Amino acid sequence: MTELAKSQGPGAATAEPAAATGTAEPAPARITQWGEIRHRFMANRLAVVGLVLVLLLFLTAALAPLIATHDPYAQDLGNTLASPSGDHWFGTDALGRDQFSRVIYGSRIAVVVGLASIFLACLIGLVLGALAGYFGKTVDTVIMRIADIFFAFPLLIGAIVIILVMGRGVMPVILSLAIFSWATVSRLLRSSILSVREMDYVTAAKALGASTSRIIIRHIMPNSIAAVMSFIAFSVGTAIVAEASLSYLGVGVSPEVPEWGNMISSARDFMGVKDFLWMYPSVAIVLTVLGFVFVGDGLRDALDPKLR
Amino acid sequence: MRGVKSAKWVVGAIVVAMAATACGGNNNDSGGKGGATFRLGITEPVAIDPVNSQESEGGLVTHNLFTGLYRVNTDGTLKPMLATSGTANDKGDEWTFEIKKDTKFSNGEPVNAEAFIRGWTRAVAKSSASDVAYHMNEIDGFKDLNSGKSDKFSGLSAAGEYTLKVKLSKPDFEFNKRTAHSVFSPVPKVAGAGDNKSFNDAPIGNGPFKMEGSWQHNQKITLVRNDDYGLDKAKIDKVEISILNPSSSVTLEYKGFESGQFDWARMPTPQMPVAKAKYEPQKEWLKYDSSGINYVQAFNTESPMNSADARKAISYAIDREQIAKGVFQGLYEPATALLPPTFKDVYKPDVCSSCMKQDKDKAKQYAEKAGLKPGDTLDFGYNTGAGHEEWVQAVAKQIEDVLGLKVKLNGLPFKEALAKQQEKGAKGIWRSAWSADYPTADNFLSPLLSTDGINPDANGKALGDNRGRYSNPKFDEMLVKARETKDAGERAKIYNEAEKLAVDEDQALIPLWKRSQYRLANTKKFDGLEINFQEEPNLAEISPK
Amino acid sequence: MGKYVIRRIGQMVIVLFGATLILFACLFVLPGDPVGSLGGDKARDPAVVQELRERYGLDKPLVEQYGNYVTNLVKGDLGEDYTQRRQVTEVLGPKLQNTAKLALAAIVLDVVIGMLAGLIAALFRYSFWDVLVTLLTTLAIGFPSFVIGSIFQSQFAVKLGWFPLISDGSFNSLIMPAVTLAIIDAALVARLMRGTMLEVLRADYVKTAVAKGLPRRTVLFKHVLRNSVIPVVTYIGISFGGLLGGALITEAIFNWDGIGFALVTAIQQQNNPIIVGVVTYGVAVFVVLNLLVDLLYAMLDPRIRLS
Repeated sequence: MTELAKSQGPGAATAEPAAATGTAEPAPARITQWGEIRHRFMANRLAVVGLVLVLLLFLTAALAPLIATHDPYAQDLGNTLASPSGDHWFGTDALGRDQFSRVIYGSRIAVVVGLASIFLACLIGLVLGALAGYFGKTVDTVIMRIADIFFAFPLLIGAIVIILVMGRGVMPVILSLAIFSWATVSRLLRSSILSVREMDYVTAAKALGASTSRIIIRHIMPNSIAAVMSFIAFSVGTAIVAEASLSYLGVGVSPEVPEWGNMISSARDFMGVKDFLWMYPSVAIVLTVLGFVFVGDGLRDALDPKLR
Repeated sequence: MRGVKSAKWVVGAIVVAMAATACGGNNNDSGGKGGATFRLGITEPVAIDPVNSQESEGGLVTHNLFTGLYRVNTDGTLKPMLATSGTANDKGDEWTFEIKKDTKFSNGEPVNAEAFIRGWTRAVAKSSASDVAYHMNEIDGFKDLNSGKSDKFSGLSAAGEYTLKVKLSKPDFEFNKRTAHSVFSPVPKVAGAGDNKSFNDAPIGNGPFKMEGSWQHNQKITLVRNDDYGLDKAKIDKVEISILNPSSSVTLEYKGFESGQFDWARMPTPQMPVAKAKYEPQKEWLKYDSSGINYVQAFNTESPMNSADARKAISYAIDREQIAKGVFQGLYEPATALLPPTFKDVYKPDVCSSCMKQDKDKAKQYAEKAGLKPGDTLDFGYNTGAGHEEWVQAVAKQIEDVLGLKVKLNGLPFKEALAKQQEKGAKGIWRSAWSADYPTADNFLSPLLSTDGINPDANGKALGDNRGRYSNPKFDEMLVKARETKDAGERAKIYNEAEKLAVDEDQALIPLWKRSQYRLANTKKFDGLEINFQEEPNLAEISPK
Repeated sequence: MGKYVIRRIGQMVIVLFGATLILFACLFVLPGDPVGSLGGDKARDPAVVQELRERYGLDKPLVEQYGNYVTNLVKGDLGEDYTQRRQVTEVLGPKLQNTAKLALAAIVLDVVIGMLAGLIAALFRYSFWDVLVTLLTTLAIGFPSFVIGSIFQSQFAVKLGWFPLISDGSFNSLIMPAVTLAIIDAALVARLMRGTMLEVLRADYVKTAVAKGLPRRTVLFKHVLRNSVIPVVTYIGISFGGLLGGALITEAIFNWDGIGFALVTAIQQQNNPIIVGVVTYGVAVFVVLNLLVDLLYAMLDPRIRLS
């Protein structure tokens, strides 16, 4: 899905501020930059909720076999489309598979695709960025134009084309998302790092005669890393939505794989008749995305508290 | 909420206004007595000109715009239309058709032997690149015309104004049944070449209906009764065909029927049990076991499916009954033969012994004989976006559970799926289906199972429809013999033996379900509605109540 | 300024050709013959395949095929599609209109709802309304459009029957897809509006204006609103191009007969001329809008130097 990516585009360039509902207390004096950011983050209630949601997601993914009540692939054609019950908490699908176990296992695809694709995108962005920086003018221009080209493809359209070439599956989804998000990722990484470098307090620290290493470790690093983390949190959320959208369109992971987009897509035929089929996976994906958005918001606000 | 309501009101007002004009039109057209408009929805056809009309949507229009020599009854028998007689010589390689005299195209041109020769030649000509021309490939001179070497169809000749002679390159005592396909339609001189866009979009024919205006792509096609029709005239005035969005067409048709917008509709499978309960008692629910089969194609030449035993193991492992009930909600029935029940004279049930019922022990025995071991991989391919995802997973799971194989599902868009099956060295099994073009056993057995049906190119790609690459000389001989047999009863016997050999003994492919069609039909407004051989409403025969 | 525009147009052309070349290369290596079949379960007659390959130049090398495409594109010709053999421009024309209708409706909703909500939130900072707007905009971003679509369809179409479940092109059937497409952007516009408003309200010239004793209304309209709108306009301009991506899935959910939906269908059928046509339109709209936004931005804000 391009929505979140889009939000980042102009957002970063024009400093898109957001209000958070938590309360901000002035940071105590004489505390490190790290501590200050952490303190502001933890004081933001939504951010903490987000953090809990994200941790829960990771935990669910890791412990899926322990949490699931059934084999997510086991079919029971004698008990299809059963409403939620004591045995099947979220009901069963058109092939009699346990929906609860499929929702639980679905977290694994979300985590793997979300993290791996953004990691890859950052890697491509960083390598190309480094190349551009190292070789300078011509290479820089060429790379920037290539980035423009990839930037001009709406994420989903680009990803579908790549998947067509590579076939359906988890790896193609990860690669296709990475290929069509690195341009966005690299632009934003670049601008967020640049903006920190130019900030007043860095200039001030320099003027006060602080050593370069001290400036980097105590001032630039914490802020840059927090900015990047904030951005990555958003991007992972975006990637998870994009992955589910691909499956929803029937070009993501294989249909037998327990995955939220797949589940919602196959529930379409039963719209209004068996609504529980799409509701549970929807709740799972919404909580996941909100988790990442809250964390991203929290980190950004922690960096830039003046706009709350 | 106010805005919402008023928007709905506006739309409602338009509908009312349109209904009012429609009524007015009816009264004028029919001069007061009877007369009605039949409304239905289809998806955008590929073509409605007989030169390239191919799927059931295009067929619905073409069949009503053009009348050829024969058409097919629901039981698979032939009904003469413009042919007053059709006879083959003793060898079966020359046919003579006498054509009903003095009928006309709706522009006044005569429908004679020349008109048929013109239509058939136009379809086969190279520049038409017609997807349906191959149905004429047994007529003499097909190759030369199709490759552009000649612009004449040498096998066709007119022996008098209304006598059409057809010379075949090999005997076929069932050639007359082929001519029921719409590509064998006559066309008027104005048709021009096959790629004549103005005729493609507004064909002028000799059928029970004619076009009103031209085809409005993605919106609608309107047909009106042809009052100069040479055979029994249609009793309804008008057919309004709305063109619907392909992915939601079925749902739209169903909703359209429920709201009274359509007189004919398909239904989404999940809604069928509800629809059946509601409409069957009102006699608005039609069923027809049509001329098609759903089956699993096995690649006969590559391991692991390169033995009859392996294929039987798979077939015995599938519980057709359970999937028919569980996934298809009891609306599909297991198939126990390859040929469909609509081919009355050749159909025999229970040809395939492994199809009768799931037998886990037999499945395991055959697997052992074939050397299929638990843990072995079986590739199972299917085309995506066509509603196969669900049952394919169910079949895969049954094979895994019974035989312990690891079934690898591989879903691809249709063209890639086709390329994968055609590839040299394709292995495993694929979901497949086949529908009849005309009611001959040969139309199933020859393309799907004969050695000629493989049609490999230089790289070993199978370009024909026998992508499972089954090849048995004995079977091929039987088909040739059947085609040369004049007596229908004798011929049916040979086809039965051939089917038994390929589908039971050799288990070249694995039949799954019959092709059952269900429709909702407005029988309150129209008399005599049924699903015809081509799975269309029989528009030319119905009458308003 | 003139030089800048020329350079930007140059870049634009590079992007357009780069993007279509990538697409061409991808389609070229796809397994399966684009004219090998029509769907259904039958392979096409090899003689017909041969004829069509020649007609559409599919037997030529990639570079030559791309060259042909570019030559025709300059003439405004996108070729013939492989199923009906009609002009791609003719097939896509009505669909393009439908997508434009949907996108425009979504933009209007974005502007009206998004800006209004942002305005209220900023003017009454920390009030109940501010908190509500903040909460809703945050929530909206967390809902993928196919989830919103499912909720709308089950509640408003099936349960309440206010809207048709499946779009038929009427105004009534435009509402659900337009709202679905607009929700996330409207939320982002609201956030952006609130943020820039707060920034402007704190700016020195506003403080000066207030100190000078100008009426509150004058300050609000003449100074605050005018300056707050700039980044919002930028964002909306850019998001219009991005709407094609959103339209892809929204159109698929609601079966809206636009180019996004045509793309999904064409991909299933491997109808390459339609795929190339849609992407060409999409990328062209995106780059042109980007350029316009940059120019507009420069005109609205004289501080930006174009170099």
